[in-house]
Amino acid sequence: MAARGRGALARWAAVGLLVAALVALPSVVAALPADDVDVPAAELRAAVLASAGVGFSGYAVSAGGLALPVSERLTDVADLFSDRTLVRVWWRGPEDHRVDVVTAAGETGVHRDPGGTWTWDFEAGTATRGAPASLALPTPPDLLPAALGRRLLSEATDDELSRIGARRVAGRDAVGLRLVPAEPAASVGRVDVWVDPASGLPLQVQVFAEGADLAALDTRFLDLDLAVPPADVVAFTPPPEATLLTAPDTEGLIAQAEERAPDVRLPGELAGLPRRTSAGVPDAVGVYGRGVTLLAAAPVPGRLAGGLREALTASPDAVTDALGTRVAAGPLGLMLVTPPDGPAYVLTGTVTLDALADAARRLPGAAS
Amino acid sequence: MIGVELRKLFRRPRTWVTIAVLNALPVLVAVLVQLTDLAPRPGEGPPFLSAVLTNGALFPLAALAIVLPLFLPIAVAVVAGDAVAGEAQAGTLRYLLVRPAGRTRLLVAKLVAVIAFVLVTVLVVAGVGYVVGTTLFDAQPVGGGTSVSGTSLSQQELAGRSLMAIGYVTVSMLGVAAFGLFFSTLTDSPLAAALGALAVLVTSSLLFTLDAASPIAPYLPTRYWLAFVDLFRDPILWRDVVRGLALQGVYVGVLLAAAWANFTTKDVTS
Repeated sequence: MAARGRGALARWAAVGLLVAALVALPSVVAALPADDVDVPAAELRAAVLASAGVGFSGYAVSAGGLALPVSERLTDVADLFSDRTLVRVWWRGPEDHRVDVVTAAGETGVHRDPGGTWTWDFEAGTATRGAPASLALPTPPDLLPAALGRRLLSEATDDELSRIGARRVAGRDAVGLRLVPAEPAASVGRVDVWVDPASGLPLQVQVFAEGADLAALDTRFLDLDLAVPPADVVAFTPPPEATLLTAPDTEGLIAQAEERAPDVRLPGELAGLPRRTSAGVPDAVGVYGRGVTLLAAAPVPGRLAGGLREALTASPDAVTDALGTRVAAGPLGLMLVTPPDGPAYVLTGTVTLDALADAARRLPGAAS
Repeated sequence: MIGVELRKLFRRPRTWVTIAVLNALPVLVAVLVQLTDLAPRPGEGPPFLSAVLTNGALFPLAALAIVLPLFLPIAVAVVAGDAVAGEAQAGTLRYLLVRPAGRTRLLVAKLVAVIAFVLVTVLVVAGVGYVVGTTLFDAQPVGGGTSVSGTSLSQQELAGRSLMAIGYVTVSMLGVAAFGLFFSTLTDSPLAAALGALAVLVTSSLLFTLDAASPIAPYLPTRYWLAFVDLFRDPILWRDVVRGLALQGVYVGVLLAAAWANFTTKDVTS
């Protein structure tokens, strides 16, 4: 009997050891130290900006914690910033790539070629051809770590940048670059970009709101292969049974909106941020700021303003006063300014709520 | 001993009744979809079901996706839970163990029988799905089909990938089978063993939907079940498929070891 008890003990000990080893394995792998490379922040930024032509393929995940107060018509954009999006990418260049958003039961693939994009939606069975536009709503390709990292670092100055060690991303050593915006109006506390030092490709991008410990947006590669993918994987021919559609003409819509927009002269500076010119932005829309601190101001027709006010006031965090209604979703601020006389305005951007209020006071016709 | 177990399993009428019941749901879904012409809207319903209206040859996959989340694991849990506890309850376990083959071999034979049951069940569901799909819906002619990524697949590619999916779904059920078998060595009641395995399953499915449980999500037994859809992307997305296979392997290994540690030293009185 005693011998049998010892036998059982030995057997259970062996099983226990096996379980312990298996449970510990992921933490051991995760704790493997990453090699840091001694490269100055400015040089690392230059390498990132030069990486648009680096070919790669991979699998990335972006997780957003931003509950955007937008209407049902923009649910795709809202989901992009509030959900976990899994993306496969094959990148041959800025005008030759394929980005598939992978879901449990289907996928939506965007195939970019020099003439425009094909968007394939498996579950709807549609293939949509779109023309390249200089101004468009955010799409999954914009949230790829590589694309987002380049965009966020593009206007950073050297004194905003610092180095922050190294970590492992997608099985590679990635060196850290931190951007802390200098503008007092900034609502983004910091942006951490983790870069593959050899190729300059950003492997992970984390955007933190001022004073937040959790990233408002975190996008990173899970797998990455630094080889130029074959052209036939990127190319797209609509399957015979697909319904062919044409994407709405963004430039035309913007031109139409501009015609209908109330005629106002926007100030040259708002919330301490100078006005800038951006390609594709109509004159009725003022864009202010630089880098990751941007503010857009636009007059809106009355009908649109009513719907927007409803959407904004539905948010429990909305602040309403004489100036209008404002709400923040992570680092993103959104405000509907309703002056006593003159048209309503919408203000949005990565600035603090105080900066939004300050900007609202300076708009033509606003209450002060 | 494996042959004996297999014969025993497949001679039982209830094995075939279980398989028949499993096929009833996808057939009912197919008939309803055909009669109403209402496939689920994109993003809703089981994978591939919305594509079935244009290509009936995809119905085996839709049928697997329909039974995968609940029906198939219940059947597997019942059969696996019955493996050892059923013998104990019937009072035949001690006679089985009188044979010189040993308890470890009996466990392995029981596991192989459960795996065979899973494989036969999945093949029958896919086969019935194919017959139902191609009879009720338009099957695409010679061209094969369209992958989830919108590229065309030849008939051979589609068949090859369907076979891989059948294999993957079979392996996905091994974790449930191993839980059932382990619980079956703990108790003399087959019902308790099957319910134990189902409890694990329900817990895993529930935790998978919970954001707060995301750190442990990669280790949940049901985490990669639907990854068979990835076999129909072009190029195939292997990441989750490989992880799913490895995870099931780990569960089978650990639970079989635990079942062995328990069973080989257990006092068998019935």
